[in-house]
Amino acid sequence: MLFGREAIRAAALWAIAPLCAVLLAGCGTSDSNPSAASSGTKRVILLTNGADPFWDAMRVGMQDAERDFKLADAGLETTMEVNDGTPKGQIDRLRQFANQTDIAAVAVSVTDSNNPAIARAMEACQQAGIRVIAIDSDVDRKNNRKARFAYLGTDNVIGGQELGKAAAGIRPEGGEYATFVGLKGAANAIERIDGFATGAGDKFKQVENLGDDMDLSTALKNVKDALDRHPELDVLVGIWAYNAHAIVDVVSQRGIRDKTTVVVFDAAPKAIEDLTAGKIDAMVVQNPYDMGYRGTRLMKALVEGDHATIHELFPKYDPQKKEFTEPDGDILTTGLRVVHPDEGTPLKKEMFAESTEFLSLGAFKKWLAEHNLTGS
Amino acid sequence: MKSPAGESTSTLGRWARLHSNELGLLAAILAVIAVTTIFSDAYREKPWQNAQEILRQTSLLGVFALGAAIVIISGGIDLSSGSVIAFSGAICATIMLALAPLDASGAPDTSQLGVGILATAIAGTLLVGFLVGTLHAWLITVVGLPPFVATLASLVGLRSLARVMVQEVTTALTPTGRTTQIYIYDETFNALGTRWWIPLVIFLVLSFVCWILLSRTVVGRHLYAMGGNEAAARLSGIRTDHLKWLAYCLGAMTSSIAGILYMAEVGTAYPAVQGLGYELNAIAAAVVGGCSLQGGVGLISGTMLGVVFLRVVIDAVAKLVKVGADEYQGIIVGVLVVLAVAFNELRRAGGGLSKQFFPGALGILAIGILSLLAGTLTTMMFGRNPGWTVFVGTLIVLTGRRLAEGAAVRRRQQADGPWS
Repeated sequence: MLFGREAIRAAALWAIAPLCAVLLAGCGTSDSNPSAASSGTKRVILLTNGADPFWDAMRVGMQDAERDFKLADAGLETTMEVNDGTPKGQIDRLRQFANQTDIAAVAVSVTDSNNPAIARAMEACQQAGIRVIAIDSDVDRKNNRKARFAYLGTDNVIGGQELGKAAAGIRPEGGEYATFVGLKGAANAIERIDGFATGAGDKFKQVENLGDDMDLSTALKNVKDALDRHPELDVLVGIWAYNAHAIVDVVSQRGIRDKTTVVVFDAAPKAIEDLTAGKIDAMVVQNPYDMGYRGTRLMKALVEGDHATIHELFPKYDPQKKEFTEPDGDILTTGLRVVHPDEGTPLKKEMFAESTEFLSLGAFKKWLAEHNLTGS
Repeated sequence: MKSPAGESTSTLGRWARLHSNELGLLAAILAVIAVTTIFSDAYREKPWQNAQEILRQTSLLGVFALGAAIVIISGGIDLSSGSVIAFSGAICATIMLALAPLDASGAPDTSQLGVGILATAIAGTLLVGFLVGTLHAWLITVVGLPPFVATLASLVGLRSLARVMVQEVTTALTPTGRTTQIYIYDETFNALGTRWWIPLVIFLVLSFVCWILLSRTVVGRHLYAMGGNEAAARLSGIRTDHLKWLAYCLGAMTSSIAGILYMAEVGTAYPAVQGLGYELNAIAAAVVGGCSLQGGVGLISGTMLGVVFLRVVIDAVAKLVKVGADEYQGIIVGVLVVLAVAFNELRRAGGGLSKQFFPGALGILAIGILSLLAGTLTTMMFGRNPGWTVFVGTLIVLTGRRLAEGAAVRRRQQADGPWS
């Protein structure tokens, strides 16, 4: 025999395992549509920057939009891809998308706005015929604006300002503050932190800005380290969703709640519990549900070339010329809410921007229940 | 008297037996590509783009898998590859930042560095790789640390050092102050990691050099001898300390090259996450390629095919699994590594039933665990009924294997007679 029994046995052994795995994986995932490519259904993907319950609300928004705008009739389905929090993870996924044939559009929450390779990978997707938008966190608008069609999400500078105003409203005498975030290079992080400084005013002094690289254990350690290094620290600011509970954990452990102001971004399920228990003073809440809902509608419109819908979403988009008529016309800001405890808060509606909703915790929980959400 | 044709067939047969693992891998690679082509439009409609991407990813992993393979063949282990990648990226970016011309605002401009700065940064990074390898060799041969411990220290320490270094460097050299990343915008440098053929050429050249070293030089023979039996190699006059120095330097320097390429690919030195866990991918590729973790066994060609095989399987999963493909990659790589080691053990024992995988109570428990694992995985993918079917099927197959092994052992005992 030319190659001998052993070589054939080796070939069989090596081939069987991955083939079984590939076939099982390809045929069995319940959340996916394995026959998408062959049946002609194309995917509309949300690519997150990392793993967090924040994205669950956006997924619900996407699914509701999928139903309301009849994506199935257009041969589209929505899916979510969770990045590992690293720029390379996002680049690899985008490169993979560009080489596939069943992807119609991608909404990217950009992991690192300054990273040129992410922008290049987004451009490669566009060159492969995929519609690309930025959601929740944008690219560097000065250098890489063309890497996406438009940005849809929170105006993070205003969000940061609202959180700063909340801190100033709770602690009019000012204080020293530290900000805690996942990735310090992320555009939304930079903008929120800058916005916080403006909103809080001159009476507040930043003493720390710590990134945890999306590691929950490091997030806890950062809070402990900041308190150890700065005993006078009296305002702790959670910039990303999971930072809220890390702050609350450490504050509770050390018994310093009475002297510490805790203000946070986003309403992660644990943060809602913490606010209910009086461990958080105020939350500035984005609306990921709305981002997912409107983002899906935008992606469907882009895939179908439905310029009227694009114009409806972006009033500065000219459907005739098929371009934006103003420099920042490609930014769609989704709403912000300041959520405060039901009782005993010094915060008032007039402290915040007119467009910002001012909600009590009870009212906010009611809204969550209406949309079957656990966080936002 | 044998005919020339018979001799040639026999030579080919011997060659095939010697390279059965590589032939098996090659056939498996083709099989996985064929199945993916059948089930996914991507390979049919964008064959060239997908081939380029697989080759690029293969080359990036392959560069430091070669170093890992040489260390394993020499009887050692290098757990530090991922951290050396992060550290090397940070060193390379630091040199570039330090030498970059300043823009109008006084900030280093890394968008047009020039060949001189790029060459200096790359040479400096390779030198650092050499120093890391030398440190490993010193810790192992002079201090007497086991390779696992010595490289584990680097795994933990180098990443930490790189993180601190990047923050100190950005504080000292940039007007924006302390950051956790250094951005390199030079397009020529970025091309090193993003143009598919550049990593491929580097990988092929390195593979050739490593192949020459291991297969065509006395030093290579000595590396195998040391990996197979270090004490015997030392007693026969081989300078094992020098060989270890060479092996760990090659391991660290190939990781440094990979660090440069990965940093070029993403345009950022970000040591907190760069290369995290990559050492296990390199070891997995070497093991799948036929390297024995006990040392003395393995080929460069096998390692190359091992890398290709892993990347082809990972890409196939990404093409066929529409959601969360990367979550399945870990399972598949894990299964392949276990299969590789089991297959090598079986081959060493003589194949067939000559190796007992399920002896005694431990074997019975292992059959239960493996069946449970297969059933659970299938349940997660298919649902409860297929899960039960796979559980029972695996149980029957493995129990059959256990019974056959037992019968083979009894036959051997009878053949050996009562006095053996």
